[in-house]
Amino acid sequence: MPATTHAQKDLAVLTTALEAAEARLRSIMQTVPDAMIIIDERGRIESLSATAEQLFGYSMDEVAGKNIKQLMPTPHREQHDGYLERYLTTGERRIIGIGRVVIGQRKDGTTFPMHLTIGELKAAEKHYFTGFIRDLTDQQMTENRLKELQSEVTHMSRFTALGEMASTLAHEINQPLTAITNYLKGCRRLLERIDGEPALVLRDAVNKAADQALRAGDIIRRLREFVARGEGDRRVESLPKLIEDASTLALLGVKENGIAVSYRLDPAADLVLADRIQIQQVLINLIRNAIEIMIESSSRRDLEIGTLAHADRTVEVSVSDTGSGLAPEVAARLFQPFVTTKRKGMGLGLSICRTIVEAHGGKIWVDARPSGGTIFRFTLRATREEEEPTRAE
Amino acid sequence: MPNSQVVHVIDDDVEVRQSLAFLLSTAGLAVRVHESAVAFLTALPGAQDGCIVTDVRMPDMDGLELQRQLRAKKIGLPVIVITGHGDIALAVEAMKAGAVDFIEKPFDDEVLLGAIRSALARHAPDAEKEGRRAEIQGRLDLLSERESEVLDGLVAGKPNKIIAYDLGISARTVEVYRANVMTKMQAASLSELVRMVLLDGGVR
Repeated sequence: MPATTHAQKDLAVLTTALEAAEARLRSIMQTVPDAMIIIDERGRIESLSATAEQLFGYSMDEVAGKNIKQLMPTPHREQHDGYLERYLTTGERRIIGIGRVVIGQRKDGTTFPMHLTIGELKAAEKHYFTGFIRDLTDQQMTENRLKELQSEVTHMSRFTALGEMASTLAHEINQPLTAITNYLKGCRRLLERIDGEPALVLRDAVNKAADQALRAGDIIRRLREFVARGEGDRRVESLPKLIEDASTLALLGVKENGIAVSYRLDPAADLVLADRIQIQQVLINLIRNAIEIMIESSSRRDLEIGTLAHADRTVEVSVSDTGSGLAPEVAARLFQPFVTTKRKGMGLGLSICRTIVEAHGGKIWVDARPSGGTIFRFTLRATREEEEPTRAE
Repeated sequence: MPNSQVVHVIDDDVEVRQSLAFLLSTAGLAVRVHESAVAFLTALPGAQDGCIVTDVRMPDMDGLELQRQLRAKKIGLPVIVITGHGDIALAVEAMKAGAVDFIEKPFDDEVLLGAIRSALARHAPDAEKEGRRAEIQGRLDLLSERESEVLDGLVAGKPNKIIAYDLGISARTVEVYRANVMTKMQAASLSELVRMVLLDGGVR
């Protein structure tokens, strides 16, 4: 057999093998369930799987030989050639064999999250890169939805637990409060018929005691109303006045403990839309906590109450202490019910604070104070006097 | 006030009952206590004229059922409802059933005594009541149209979100209107607002 015939035969075999290999590759590219793209070392698209065509909205013919960078948004689009070059010079792997979540850009310009794994092959001194792409749109939507639901559920369960407790409390405590008020007010009436200095003093004291019982009833009523309906009795209130009232109540009798109180009030943080009693409860809670921790753990006892008006029409209220601070693992769970660092405590205070603040459309969080101690902060909605709301809101 | 009139206090809680008897007697009122609505109805044939102060949530027969029974028996004693569960729906129901007043526990003595006095004097033309009505009407007149709409929603026991939906505005906006309504009506609480509108704002 002549040599040429041999060579021709060999060539035919090779061609057949090559065609078979290409056919296999094409069939793989047509049927592989994940999107798959093969590029050469200069970033030019060699082939695109059917799924990748669907995912990006380009057909194979449109992008064959084009640079892969047009499937990614800026800034990767501009830098991708550089990435390839760097890898080819340094051999340093940043994504190859590792896999990463990146953003892809479709033909219509929209983008989507995707997981990208890259494989590398060398043939005849040429590098090829194979990208395997998984569309994460659904997965991310599911995750976001799950997160949303989870926070709704935590919120609801906190609400339900508080709601049940408030409702039971309301009934059980309102009865004795009613009896207390009735007896005291009756006593005041009887004392009105008695002359003399002591009777006058007694009358006043008994009346004040009755008013305090009524105030307790008021707190319970509001708490219940607001856990049941998720809304309290909000008015336009002066924030400095709210703070003054709350700190007066919270600071009763603490002077002896050597606590220095200072205020840093932003004049621009004036009127807020708030349920006065509820926000006072939040403030009293935070101030009392701050005092307790300082008495327990620190010789330096500086309490600072501050306000700050933000540009987005919210105001921030802060209560900072110079106590021992919070361990990070406690800080993360601090606003959950029944979490407490106190020996005698139910762990409900901050949970209630959070429920109240969130119902006011604000948020509450805790920061470490740079020079030791903690800062509790919460936000409220700022408002103007006699605000006429607009429909277009 | 005629001595023949008696305040009938009905509450299943013995302490509340007795404390009420004490308070009312210090104000010079004759009081009879009853441990349940059933016990009161049993004692009714011999009961003196006057008025009734009753709790709502009680075992066996609640305050609303008592009101129905009284009406069926054509007994016209005015009923003042007191409750530890002050929800708006309940207040509206009690008022519709014919209660002359609805007061949340714990209450200021003057609020209850005022209600009792006006209940006992119900036949007499009441200048004070008229004055009060005019005053509340004056406050109602201060409300803008939107504020009135929000007030209607509140009195119907609707939460902000539902009112917002009904009026096609945001819940935040409703909140601001609601704050304005409370201020203009000089109401200390939602239930006081409802009481004001139901009792004295009947002309609307």
